[in-house]
Amino acid sequence: MIKAVEPHAIDVDAFPGTHGNGHQPATRPIHVRILRQDVSGGESYWERFEVPHEPNMNVISVLQKIAAQAKSRDGRKVAPVAWDCSCLEEVCGSCTMLINGRTRMACSALVDKLLEEDEEIELRPMSKFPVVRDLVVDRRRLFRSLERVEAWVPVDDSYDHGPGPRISPEDQEDAYPLSTCISCGCCLEACPQFNKIEVVRRDDETAEAFETRRKAAFDAAFVGPHAISQAMLFNSHPTGKMIADERLEAVTGPGGVQMCGNAQNCVAVCPKSIPLTRSIARAGRAATVWAIKKLFDR
Amino acid sequence: MSESTPSFFTRHQFLIYRLFSLSGLIPVGAFVVVHLLTNASILGGAASFQARVDLIHSLGPLLVPIEWAFIFLPMLFHATVGFVIIANGMPNVGSYPYVGNVRYTLQRATGMIAFAFIIWHVIQLHWLGTPLGGGKFDPHHASSSASLALQSPLVAILYAIGVLSTVFHFANGLWTLGITWGLWTSPAAMRRANAVSVVVGLVLAAAGLGALGGMRAVDVEQARATEKRMDEVKRLLEGQDPAAAPATSHPISQKRGT
Repeated sequence: MIKAVEPHAIDVDAFPGTHGNGHQPATRPIHVRILRQDVSGGESYWERFEVPHEPNMNVISVLQKIAAQAKSRDGRKVAPVAWDCSCLEEVCGSCTMLINGRTRMACSALVDKLLEEDEEIELRPMSKFPVVRDLVVDRRRLFRSLERVEAWVPVDDSYDHGPGPRISPEDQEDAYPLSTCISCGCCLEACPQFNKIEVVRRDDETAEAFETRRKAAFDAAFVGPHAISQAMLFNSHPTGKMIADERLEAVTGPGGVQMCGNAQNCVAVCPKSIPLTRSIARAGRAATVWAIKKLFDR
Repeated sequence: MSESTPSFFTRHQFLIYRLFSLSGLIPVGAFVVVHLLTNASILGGAASFQARVDLIHSLGPLLVPIEWAFIFLPMLFHATVGFVIIANGMPNVGSYPYVGNVRYTLQRATGMIAFAFIIWHVIQLHWLGTPLGGGKFDPHHASSSASLALQSPLVAILYAIGVLSTVFHFANGLWTLGITWGLWTSPAAMRRANAVSVVVGLVLAAAGLGALGGMRAVDVEQARATEKRMDEVKRLLEGQDPAAAPATSHPISQKRGT
């Protein structure tokens, strides 16, 4: 069994010079196999690459080297592998991919640790989202889920409403972990209840019609743990809870919290260690009360 | 463009899933608990088990509607929704072998095993299975008929698998039910609830396997004699001639006291 929460924290090895690294061991080149796809909806295929090993590499720096050489392991000239990344410090949530079969952020996946698991590094795009190209996926549905549960505080005018209500330190501590969500999609990738939806535009379809059809497909399916957790975050916020009922309507609607199968993979893979299953259980409790209210208070 | 309206199942998904969750505890789970504990009374001897069976069958003609309303129909509902849930899930325990994920997968596997087992079990022992060559349980000869039906080692092994699957499904389901309804929300509360579920599961597994072993160990001749004596007393209490033709294998066609 692997441990539930991977320690992603950067260890001292990541900082050259913090301890004696004058004697680097002779290292072999890194072998990487990548599941590639040239266009969305196209066939996927494996391609192998080899890059020289350097100390303290992460998966992003491997991908940078692959892009620079644009050459497969057997020497063919190939198009550089495409991938998403931005902050490189596990905050932006854009570099999620399947590394050695598991979902995680490429920026915090250190090569030397990966090589302890396996001689070769395997990279695949996330399997729950449509592939745009190579390791780049379309995570529109993740953000659509946040729209579905109205994951925001609805203050949207230019009037001065005065200072907001005070939030006790206890409530702040409770809410803070939920606010650290980076929308990386790891929880969705690992969730056995969250299935891929790939809506393809028809030839005779307008962009608007396609968008409507895609939204309808998204809205009937599971919102996912991230959105349930955000709904609980904003329902606990003194201003955010003004539309708590609307969020609960969404959370108990089609594809709501009832779709959770309690596998609890979400909390196990979350790179920010967000207590997602606590949020889901709280959503379940709120939904119970909400359903009783709806039944008897109308 | 044609907007397809969502299906009845999709529109009432929350309600249906909550009823599914509830039905796993009440009445289906509650029935399983009573059933296994009743069966375990065989460990107290043939008379002890017969007395409990008589108590259940003292409901007389009410037994059939009660069975359908509180056991068969809720079970069929739970199983139907369960299969929809299984069909919509994509187990990934190979990539993410966490304990919770293993339990998720086992919950689905044991649900399907329990479903197949219960159908077979009902056909084999319940009077409904008589036209199919089953219906071997005779409530007037509870211990002896049950014992005879369970003598084959293959049957015993399949029963052990079926009973343990059902018990796991119930105990694990108890834990997930508490999360679904929001009874335990914090990780610490989930751990405590899990400990309770494990104990419930172990007790029921012991009761189920004890009942199975107890049934198979029954001395059929001795049990028959006990059952005959008890039947005579019952007839006597009901104002009938105790020496009249003893009740035979088909309980429903032979409703006592009518």
